[in-house]
Amino acid sequence: MAKTQRSWYSGMATTEDWWAVWLGLGFFVLGLLTLSGIDLVGWISYPKIWVASLPDGAIAKKIVTIDHAFYALGGKYSLTAKAFYKSLGPIGSILATYVVFTIATTIGAYFQKWDVKRFFIGWTIIFFLTYLVWFLGHNAFFAASAVDLKKSHFPLDTFTLSLGGGASFILALIVGLVIGNFFKPLARYLSEAAKPEWYIKTAIVFLGVKVGYLPIKAVLTGAKLGAHGAQMGQQMAHLTFELFTAGAAATVVAYLIFWPGVYTISRLIFKLPRKTAAVLGSAISICGVSAAVATGGAVRARPIVSIMVSALVVVYAVIELVVLPGFFTHFWPGTSDPIVAGSAMGMAVKTDGADAAAGELLDEFMRAKVEQESNGKTVWMPGVITTSAVMTKIWIDMFIGLWAFILALFWVYKIEKHEGDRVPFSEVWFRFPKFVLGYFAAWWIYLGIFFGPGQSGATADGLAILKNAKVGAVAVEKGMRKLFFMLTFMSLGIITDFKKLAEAQFGKMVWVYFVSLFLFIIPVAVIIAYLFHHGMQIPNMAGAVIN
Amino acid sequence: MSFFTGFTRRKKENKHLEMILDHDGRNWIVSGNSMRITASSLDGLDKKLERALADKLQEEKKLSVFMSFNNEVIPMWIRPYMNHYFNRILELPLQYQ
Repeated sequence: MAKTQRSWYSGMATTEDWWAVWLGLGFFVLGLLTLSGIDLVGWISYPKIWVASLPDGAIAKKIVTIDHAFYALGGKYSLTAKAFYKSLGPIGSILATYVVFTIATTIGAYFQKWDVKRFFIGWTIIFFLTYLVWFLGHNAFFAASAVDLKKSHFPLDTFTLSLGGGASFILALIVGLVIGNFFKPLARYLSEAAKPEWYIKTAIVFLGVKVGYLPIKAVLTGAKLGAHGAQMGQQMAHLTFELFTAGAAATVVAYLIFWPGVYTISRLIFKLPRKTAAVLGSAISICGVSAAVATGGAVRARPIVSIMVSALVVVYAVIELVVLPGFFTHFWPGTSDPIVAGSAMGMAVKTDGADAAAGELLDEFMRAKVEQESNGKTVWMPGVITTSAVMTKIWIDMFIGLWAFILALFWVYKIEKHEGDRVPFSEVWFRFPKFVLGYFAAWWIYLGIFFGPGQSGATADGLAILKNAKVGAVAVEKGMRKLFFMLTFMSLGIITDFKKLAEAQFGKMVWVYFVSLFLFIIPVAVIIAYLFHHGMQIPNMAGAVIN
Repeated sequence: MSFFTGFTRRKKENKHLEMILDHDGRNWIVSGNSMRITASSLDGLDKKLERALADKLQEEKKLSVFMSFNNEVIPMWIRPYMNHYFNRILELPLQYQ
């Protein structure tokens, strides 16, 4: 039975894209119930920075002992079930998280017609491996910053790598890559459950909660700081809108510069055929695999062209994920322009998984660096840099349908002049990334709560509503989002086999990709990001407890 | 609904056929309405299809064929990124110059 897209609702029950929406919005709705005092999301297990035992004089504040390395977020944030969630303890919260997400993801696997038994076993292995890595990555040696050490009264000469949450992401990727490259039979088995695109798209829907929650958090943090909380919330809401509009503008400019540039490099320098150059041009300059497939279809290329290019994209995306966060943090554009760096990441890294993961890593690295360098006087709210990376990428993803449609019109009517061939406008919808619907719904509903019943936190009644909203939002945007980022890093590693790069007959395409990406796309991305995002500042939350 | 059925629906008098478009690694294949046609290029495929539909075309004067691509051609590992290759509408008769 052929699998075709014919109706607007095609794939709603059977594709990962739609299942990211269902999964993401399902937990988002559960989180919203905290507005009516029902907390059904507080079980999510979250790590703390830990040591085997506290040194003399130290206190368990930012850094705790190993037996408190995980906790249910509801045990800290819940307004109605704090005692219950606290009673789960570290193991209980991990098991609760496992049970809930195993049920949810296995239902998704069933509807997507995967091998449910293999998915279940693979998911279980990946889940617990992820939690093990999350645990190891939060050892104080890897994760603790100078500020964490200071707050927990550790000796001043304690040495740590100060990687923050980034250590866990790097470890997850390394463990995944080791499995993917050295334990290939295991990697093949796990591949049924190693689904980075599904996990990251779900995480991006959760990120929608984060973006909508940012103004709420700013208000509540501002109130703690004694500042004008409502004003801070408005500033944060304004910043998210700025990211939204600047991301759109930057994306259009990037499209108009990147695509012709890479197409020209492919044709003039590397003498690639026209259709291959077009597919490669979209893959390198727009959004990787999805662009390669969309463009292949638009120019009526044989499917093998898109498949070859896609294989190249996924390997390069992981290389970018490994290289760029550190480069952007320590060399160019650096911590003086964090939003520029985030947005450039969104334009440079292909595939949603690698981009969002790289954005998250950049967020961790940059925050740790400024905290370290300012000795705690500058503390950025977590997630703003990630948001800038993902916001730009989402625009890029959304435009691919339109871009492929325009390209198809041009190709069919002007370049190849296919007699009688017509391009249906429904193509735009079929190529539209559905998970962004979940992202925007989550964002705008929380924003509606902030400006609507929350009254921007300007009144006592409004503040009370925002405090209730926070409980559900934190569990989703912090606990679930980070977990799904961790699953993405691990899964990306598992499915990435670097040997494929050497084995496959990519020929010149490898060099077109290399030259275009590192000598053209990345520098131009930083320049465009600078033009549209320079000057945007992340509010300094030093002195407040950052959740 | 017209948004999703493409440009050619605007000519309501056109007879509308639904077929599946496929690719086996070497050839384009169009199937449906009790026929299966293959050709190495899309232009070649269109010409063969026009010949195969000659009788129907004589009756109707104009035909439009909606070809939905069989997205199973896209390997499983790529589908999470993009699960749609392309659909097209072929308006017959072809008007070669």
